[in-house]
Amino acid sequence: MNVMIKNKLGFALVLLFAAANTFAAKPGPAAKKATADPLLPVAGLTVIDMPYDVGGTALLKWDVRPSDTPDVTYQVYVSSLETGGWIKAEEFPADTRTGKDIDLPFWAWDTSVKEHAVKVELNNYYGEAQSTGSLFHFKVAAVRGRNTAESEVVSVVTLSNWFRLDRMNNLVLLLILIVAFFWAVSHAKRKGLFIRRIAGLDAIDEAIGRATEMGKPIYYMTGIGSMSQISTIASAFILGEVSKKVAQYDSQIKVPHYDPIVMTVCKEVVKQSYMEAGRPDSYRDDINFFVSQDQFSYAASVDGMISREKPAACFFMGYFMAESLLLAEVGATSGAIQIAGTDVEHQLPFFFTACDYTLMGEELYAAGAYLSKEPMLMSALKVQDLGKLIVMVSVLFGIIFVGVGAWRHWDPFVQVILNMFKAY
Amino acid sequence: MKLIKKQIPLAIVFVFGVLTLISYYIPHKKSVDFMEMMNKWENIVAAFAFFLGLISLFYSHYSKIARKVDGWGYSLFVYIGFLAMVVPAIYCHGKQMDAAGKTALGWSFSFIYNPLSATMFAILAFYIVSTAYRSFRIKSLQAFVLFVAAFILILGKVPLGQIIWTSVLGWTGAGVDQVIDWIMSYPAVAGKRGIMIGIAIGAVVTSFKIIFGIERQYMGKD
Repeated sequence: MNVMIKNKLGFALVLLFAAANTFAAKPGPAAKKATADPLLPVAGLTVIDMPYDVGGTALLKWDVRPSDTPDVTYQVYVSSLETGGWIKAEEFPADTRTGKDIDLPFWAWDTSVKEHAVKVELNNYYGEAQSTGSLFHFKVAAVRGRNTAESEVVSVVTLSNWFRLDRMNNLVLLLILIVAFFWAVSHAKRKGLFIRRIAGLDAIDEAIGRATEMGKPIYYMTGIGSMSQISTIASAFILGEVSKKVAQYDSQIKVPHYDPIVMTVCKEVVKQSYMEAGRPDSYRDDINFFVSQDQFSYAASVDGMISREKPAACFFMGYFMAESLLLAEVGATSGAIQIAGTDVEHQLPFFFTACDYTLMGEELYAAGAYLSKEPMLMSALKVQDLGKLIVMVSVLFGIIFVGVGAWRHWDPFVQVILNMFKAY
Repeated sequence: MKLIKKQIPLAIVFVFGVLTLISYYIPHKKSVDFMEMMNKWENIVAAFAFFLGLISLFYSHYSKIARKVDGWGYSLFVYIGFLAMVVPAIYCHGKQMDAAGKTALGWSFSFIYNPLSATMFAILAFYIVSTAYRSFRIKSLQAFVLFVAAFILILGKVPLGQIIWTSVLGWTGAGVDQVIDWIMSYPAVAGKRGIMIGIAIGAVVTSFKIIFGIERQYMGKD
């Protein structure tokens, strides 16, 4: 009995051993694939200087292969030395990062999915000074499990480029506007140019007249923008026209400032306006005065002045942030006529609710021309209208083309349309 | 005189305006360096202009004190406030913290400047309430639309409002959050983009007027 048990046990052990050998000899799915598809170095590796940039970036390209599966990883190495010194710059699954992942438009870049395309920003590894104009070497390693296949080494010198071809759509629009601008200015008509009424600007006379009758001052705030901001420049133009009328009516204007440069420019503007109005004797140097370059200190100080002096009119023209409501609400409480204008769209609701008249964005820019009635300036407003017409027509056709393209699954066509309207 | 007062400034504006404009299309290092240089120049000019501003500030408040105009006492606080920040700044070499903790400048910042700034900012909350009250007075169809949109937004932001919405309008199947999302994502964004497009084109045309010397009021006309 014992002998039989021993024999059965021995037989079972032999069977188990044989089975284990059989399973071990049978390759698994991965091993099967490895045998069928050995890991090869990447093919067609090239490196070029990244086009349309300031320099310091290299662009590597190599062929997409059928074996680029998620279990394969690509590692991109960079070195500034002839031999060694390799730094791993990028690592990603082999089925990602193709030409379509580079954010460039169709006229500047081949968005092919047949090639891998990888940008390597050398500034991250070698500093700004070294990364442009020096020779760099690159290699790509394909990694699957413990297997690695390295490519040949390729080299490039990165350069600063001279033209942003990707911004060509923007440049074309700019050129159209420049041509339209010169056409409008050169065909400026003395009479007959219709410009719609802007209630806020028509109310300026009313506000100044009220101030004159009441014998109270007018406060004009240019906002907290610097002189390089368009809204502040537009505000200075309006100030010129307002102060000219103030001088004609022999009223009083006060211009508290946040920015000393804006104050200096506004001093010249107001002085000029008083001279043009024939009242240089009425001009005082303290019409424009500096308050503070701190947002809330400025608001507190101007609020105090408005509360104490109860001005007849307040103008808020320019760039405003949180102080918009702080100023406008105090002005409204003091009973002043308030006219505001800003291009900060998220401050517009505050001005709408607290002021009598509000100029929205482009109306602020148009105000100088509207008030001065100069034919050349007024003709330039036509360019704004043309620009808006171009945008409206583009939006309309863009919606139609993209809608039809998406419906018919014309992905390349949709991409072309989207590229044309994108800012790069 | 005309050359100095008119033609040279116009030429400077034109040259630097065009250079700045084309630098947007030129990514070269020279273009980047040029823009950096312009920013440095602007900072230098701003530093000098700040002194002008300071002189203007002191002069205007000095004349108020000297003439004893109404509220002249407030002008004293300009000098007191200035000294309260500048003297500690000079004494502590501009450092707010040292090994022993807060310096006098740090103390001035923490216990004078910051509370005053925070107070001004906090007042904004009260002004928003009074402004909201004013805007909620329905005088026209536009004001009614504004009121409805604002009311839904306010309702959706407080738990009680959400409960009211669910009990009154729950049958519609639309949650107040969804309605708020729709208002913020479609009508609000559409209006905002319209304004932004107008602003962008207006800014371009205004820039042309300045660069090409059509608009020159900023430098006096003749």
